[in-house]
Amino acid sequence: MRVWLITFISLMLLPATDAEAATVIASGIGAGDELNIIAIGMFLVFIAITLAITFWAASRTRTRSDFYAAGSSIGGFQNGLAIAGDFMSAATFLGVTALVYSTGMDAMLFVIGGTLGWSVILLLIAERLRNLGRYTFSDVVAFRLERKPVRTMSAIGTLAVAIPYLLAQMVGAGALIQSLFSLPYEYAVVLVGVLMTFYVTFGGMLATTWIQTIKAVLLLTGGTIIAVGVMVMLNFDFGALVTGAVEAHPKGEAIMAPGVMFTDPITIISIGLAFVFGTAGLPHVLMRFFTVPDARQARRSVAYAIGFIGYFQSLIFIIGLGAVIYVSNNPEFQAAGGGLIGGVNMAAIHLAKVIGGDLFLGFISAVAFATILAVVSGLTLSAAAAVSHDIYANVICDGHSDRKTELRISRITTLVIGLSTMALAILLEGENVAVLALIALAIAASVNFPVMFLSMYWSKLTTRGALAGGYAGLATALLLVLLGPTVWVSLLGFDKPVFPYRYPTLFAMLASLIFAFWFSVLDKSQRALAELKSFDAQWIRSEIGPVREKT
Amino acid sequence: MLSQISKEIPTNKNFHKLVSVRQRVSWSFLLVLLGLYLVFGMLSVYSPSLLARPVISDGVIPIGIAMGYAILALSFVLTLVYVWLANKYFEPLEKKIMAELEQ
Repeated sequence: MRVWLITFISLMLLPATDAEAATVIASGIGAGDELNIIAIGMFLVFIAITLAITFWAASRTRTRSDFYAAGSSIGGFQNGLAIAGDFMSAATFLGVTALVYSTGMDAMLFVIGGTLGWSVILLLIAERLRNLGRYTFSDVVAFRLERKPVRTMSAIGTLAVAIPYLLAQMVGAGALIQSLFSLPYEYAVVLVGVLMTFYVTFGGMLATTWIQTIKAVLLLTGGTIIAVGVMVMLNFDFGALVTGAVEAHPKGEAIMAPGVMFTDPITIISIGLAFVFGTAGLPHVLMRFFTVPDARQARRSVAYAIGFIGYFQSLIFIIGLGAVIYVSNNPEFQAAGGGLIGGVNMAAIHLAKVIGGDLFLGFISAVAFATILAVVSGLTLSAAAAVSHDIYANVICDGHSDRKTELRISRITTLVIGLSTMALAILLEGENVAVLALIALAIAASVNFPVMFLSMYWSKLTTRGALAGGYAGLATALLLVLLGPTVWVSLLGFDKPVFPYRYPTLFAMLASLIFAFWFSVLDKSQRALAELKSFDAQWIRSEIGPVREKT
Repeated sequence: MLSQISKEIPTNKNFHKLVSVRQRVSWSFLLVLLGLYLVFGMLSVYSPSLLARPVISDGVIPIGIAMGYAILALSFVLTLVYVWLANKYFEPLEKKIMAELEQ
């Protein structure tokens, strides 16, 4: 372990001794102004703290339970913060603010959907998940179904969500850091990739949780200051916020009515389903419920998380409309070719400068960077657990894996994921990666969620049904995105999309549920019969937790 | 391994009470929230001008924003209610069932 750690650190320091890299970074800093120094200073403090946490966590990460679930020792309050942190990614903070900034009311659909996903988790999933599983949501699906094929499928579901989502975050991070810190794109991507690999490899879930917690506190603080700053400038008059935004926005009154972006019911329903049930099927979020000791703490975790997330989501609208008033017509932030410097995603960042000057701008920039780091770490850990716990330990070793080998495999997987996403993110520089996030959420909603939900609630679900449903959801989601406007027209250059809708979730979820239903009902095998019989035991455990057998 | 318990559970009144009440609470909360969300979504397709109208005749806050925030607030309130029910009602019942099973 120690040898690994030292090798890793010296590898990390390598670029610094590389003369070329040093000049590039130095010229980057030189080209910027004071704000860069402040932002970089704050960011270095954050990195120093997270590295210290990783060292501390590494000395406490020995068993599998430590690595995957922080020894199930996290309390409900802290886990609630960490869950909120997992959800409040840079995409939510900067992306949804940008959406409010450019389209107004349409963003409300995302804001409500994301929040209601948490109600689904609280009311249907969290306690049962904790009662049935150990490290990943696949534990729940495989509780009474045949272990190998079912785990393989849910591991594929996990990777199909985590990898595209990770890539989307990395590409976004590269571009964001480029404009925040004047650091070349490639260096930004490598910096994020190296740090996340380091946190996960050595600190496992314990380090990831603490980093996520700290970031959540920073982001909530930063968001609060921006929103309060806006309201102070408006004398806490919400009417002035609305009228001011309508006056300042080029679309005027239209931003207070939905329909700038979405006009048909199918699209609206697909987006709603993707946000509500996709959120409830995100593997890195589901994994968080195993870091607490029992169902009671799992319930408390979501309850706190809903409080933090709902609060943050309600700030987003104030921040977005505030940016319309104070940023959109401010000559300081206009790029030479029109639009905002750094694109609409920078709306919240520019607003921070209006409110708190360079010092606060530096703080918010560092918070945005910290947000990206924390979220990619969580995603990487869930992908690594899918490979080492689901595929290696349970499929390849049939549940009899050696602790050391399993942990080594999860660390190697982390390294492989880190290196390959860095390489891919560099290749994808400048590409529109929105499609990746779209695919990730659609797959979470039409593979992970339906299979997990049915396995918990429907006694007649069989192995055959679960597999048919999961793979049908996966294939439909991928195929419809391929044939839809985003890929078929924008990327492949055809004139007309074969599938007219941008968002596939409604159809993919239906496909998944219908296939799971029919293949289960028609399954008359011996195995299906045995699975039906064992539902009672699973059901009891999911409702009241593990019961000690009478002696 | 749960064979003995599986045999006793079907006759355990408290278990059935717990499950049926809890499921009824969960599903009805969820239906209310998702139903309101659907209403919001459909209004934004079929009647966007209604959502843009001010809440009070001479005010400026549009119905859409008010409704969005109201749904967020309701999801939070229902969360509190659920947690309160779980602490006051479901958990003691769970303990009772456990005790009955482990005697």
